[in-house]
Amino acid sequence: MRTLLAIAAALLVVTNVWAKPGDVDMGKAVYDQRCIWCHGVEGDGDSAATEWLNPPPRDFSSAQYKIKTTGFDDIVPNDEDIYRMIAKGMPGTAMPGWDDILSEQEIWDLTAYIKTFGGLEEETPSQQVDYGTPVPSSPESIARGQELFLDGERCSECHGEDGKGDSIKGLKDDNGERTWPRNLTKPWTFRGSNDSKDIYSRISVGIPGTQMPSFADPTSKKKLSTEERWHIANYVQSLAKIDEVVRAENTVVKADKLEGDLPAAVDDPRWQQTEASTFFLIPQMIGEERFFKPSNDTITVRALYSDNEIALLLEWDDRTRSIPGDEKAEKISDPEIAEDAVAIQLPIHIPDGMEKPYFGMGDAANTVNIWHWASGTTEKPESVALLNSRGFGEIERREPAQVRIQATGRYEKGTWRVLMKRPLLTSPADQDIQFLEGEFIPIAFAAWDGSNSETGSRHTLTTWYWLLLKPASGNKPLITALLMAFLIAGLLFWWARGASSPKERSQDGNG
Amino acid sequence: MKIPRLLQAVGVIVGIYAGFVLVFDYLLGQVIPSSLLSMYMFFVIAGVFMVYTFTEESARELVAPIKALVEDPSKKRIRNVVFILIPLLVAGFTYQRMSPSFEAPVELRSIHPAPPATVKAYGKRYDLATLKNPFRKYEKAKPEKFRELVREGGDIYIQNCQYCHGDKLDGRGPYAAGLNPTPLNFQDVGTIAQLQESFLFWRIATGGPGLPKEAAPWISSMPVWQDFLTEEEIWKVILFLYDYTGRRPRSWEHE
Ligand code: HEC
Ligand code: HEC
Ligand code: HEC
Repeated sequence: MRTLLAIAAALLVVTNVWAKPGDVDMGKAVYDQRCIWCHGVEGDGDSAATEWLNPPPRDFSSAQYKIKTTGFDDIVPNDEDIYRMIAKGMPGTAMPGWDDILSEQEIWDLTAYIKTFGGLEEETPSQQVDYGTPVPSSPESIARGQELFLDGERCSECHGEDGKGDSIKGLKDDNGERTWPRNLTKPWTFRGSNDSKDIYSRISVGIPGTQMPSFADPTSKKKLSTEERWHIANYVQSLAKIDEVVRAENTVVKADKLEGDLPAAVDDPRWQQTEASTFFLIPQMIGEERFFKPSNDTITVRALYSDNEIALLLEWDDRTRSIPGDEKAEKISDPEIAEDAVAIQLPIHIPDGMEKPYFGMGDAANTVNIWHWASGTTEKPESVALLNSRGFGEIERREPAQVRIQATGRYEKGTWRVLMKRPLLTSPADQDIQFLEGEFIPIAFAAWDGSNSETGSRHTLTTWYWLLLKPASGNKPLITALLMAFLIAGLLFWWARGASSPKERSQDGNG
Repeated sequence: MKIPRLLQAVGVIVGIYAGFVLVFDYLLGQVIPSSLLSMYMFFVIAGVFMVYTFTEESARELVAPIKALVEDPSKKRIRNVVFILIPLLVAGFTYQRMSPSFEAPVELRSIHPAPPATVKAYGKRYDLATLKNPFRKYEKAKPEKFRELVREGGDIYIQNCQYCHGDKLDGRGPYAAGLNPTPLNFQDVGTIAQLQESFLFWRIATGGPGLPKEAAPWISSMPVWQDFLTEEEIWKVILFLYDYTGRRPRSWEHE
């Protein structure tokens, strides 16, 4: 016990040496210029932005900090914790990192000033997270971590079996604001980082003010030893999805050609052999009723085509399967539940030049096709709709069977997968896109999370990307290249012979 | 030592090519489309060829090394190597050209197109040449009131604009990464510092769809703010944009 105390004391001394003194008055000057817009003049999180953001800006008067490395029952954070959040920001929220425009000293000044809102200026933390002996990541450690993660639904209760945050609970933070358990396969949304030490700190301290509990708390039924916490941290780190991340340079969904029939099911193994393209989904805030608190953030698209058909597989993580009429689903949903849905948008003609329809549902001169799939309710099965749109107010509902659009979806462990299919060509051809091999076709997507009160114009979307039916190039390039090579070689040697012949021949003649 | 003229000519062409790539791809950060580059290079090669073959003598000097290579028996070995390499290069180039490329088409758009002379918004017509920010006068006349207006502009900005343009006004809001074209960076010297307040009023009131065709209105996610904000609110948010970034609007009077 005594050694423990000594260590804690030593840690304290060390942290205090690290902390640079910040100047409260200087901090206030910067705060009033940069931070009041969200955190409010009084630092109580009451500002023009509060109602528009989820999570809302922090109320500093509560003295509660989410990302900290002091003991779980010690409300006081280290100055370094506050410094880090200001400097690096909190990914996945509106809180940006400030170290690109503020100096180190300015950030220490801000730290000192912010502490005064919650009366923390005289406080020093009494406990630090105990890191024990770090366990490096290894297959064994990860396997042990997974066991502990699932054991008694320790973590999976909120984060889902595969860690996608597909909770079986509707969670609210201390202020009654909706919170979503983190999707642990998307480390770029972690407020801290997915460095194993960071994850270890979050598991040990929890995330104050939210349901994310501390697992170092000895009174918790789910408590974990330091070693166990390292195993789980290694497991969480291993969950990061690497093949379905947004790559900014990839703007083209490439459809491979298949001989014979296209996959009819979302889990057909042939999908795994196609290239996946992942795009950011952003909330719809350009027209009609705007939307600011999305829960879906990316969509992954794959495509295949055959001689006469095209199939697209849309895949996105959605924490809730929203089934209107279902008691359980309604309980975790926001008051109004709606169906989950997804849509593909395509111009009705492949554009000749640069000009495309307006990305927000077309415009007066340029119509778009919208294929809209909805997940169904307890009363009605999944369905697909076909819309021709010329802008927000100009939407014509058409019969999807007429052009033989089919769609089917499946929800599994926090992920929706929806397959949509249509013949490449339709007749008549003037109301619908005709898919032609080798042409770049504009394509955009939209998604609705029915448990996050997303219906109608309240949804997430992408801007235009491209769909390309990859032409089978065959061996034409190879043959042409070889022909060219022989032709040039022939010409060259003919030239060389012609040029050198008189001399060489006379030499030959002499010899 | 005198550099053979052939080598000089090749050197000049390669140098210009490298220059293009350097200026566009690295300095301007805007990858030059290959079709454009091919066109430029065609003119460059034609130009260099013309200069180097201007007189008969210079033309002879230029081709001398080639002639020597083909005719001089002592260079037979090099010749054979060159004569094998050239067809191989041609084959490689042809193959690459013929194989389909899956690169997305390049969309060149004008970022700051010329504004129209008059703009229709809020059911009225505005003459951009004479349109002024009605609140700008308070900056000197009533500084206190001006601070108040800037403050209100800031609240409008944080409620409506930060998602895309960022709360640091650097064009990197939480959703900026999902947008193409990217939201403009107001801290940059190339945006609002170059523009008049009337230009901003036009852009904010009519948004992406208000742009002329050369600016590709169909892909701009900039909302049409006359649908959501009042005229006064737009003028206030403009005050805030300049105040926060410390930039001055461009005005013809001072120039
Ligand atoms: C665009 C709005 C916005 C602005 C401007 C802003 N913040 Fe934040 N800030 C947030 C939000 C939202 C959160 C809460 C994130 C969460 O709860 O996950 C937050 C959280 C914080 C936290 C809490 C970190 C923690 O561990 O809990 C600190 C500290 C903070 N901000 C400091 C600042 C400072 C200092 C500035 C000015 C330089 C600033 N913020 C400007 C939106 C903003
Ligand atoms: C009672 C529900 C609940 C349980 C149980 C739970 N979490 Fe969480 N967790 C949450 C919530 C809610 C958040 C998001 C909090 C917020 O809004 O920032 C979260 C966030 C996280 C984060 C994100 C940290 C960051 O930097 O953003 C990690 C990692 C995490 N949890 C890991 C775990 C692990 C590992 C376990 C099991 C040992 C676990 N959680 C158990 C609810 C829970
Ligand atoms: C949904 C994202 C989004 C929102 C919200 C948004 N903008 Fe934009 N804005 C853009 C994009 C993208 C551009 C660049 C394309 C263009 O010029 O239309 C842009 C361009 C601009 C320009 C043109 C700047 C120049 O140098 O020509 C101004 C001014 C502007 N925005 C102001 C605002 C204001 C003020 C608000 C809030 C009232 C706002 N924007 C909200 C996306 C957005």
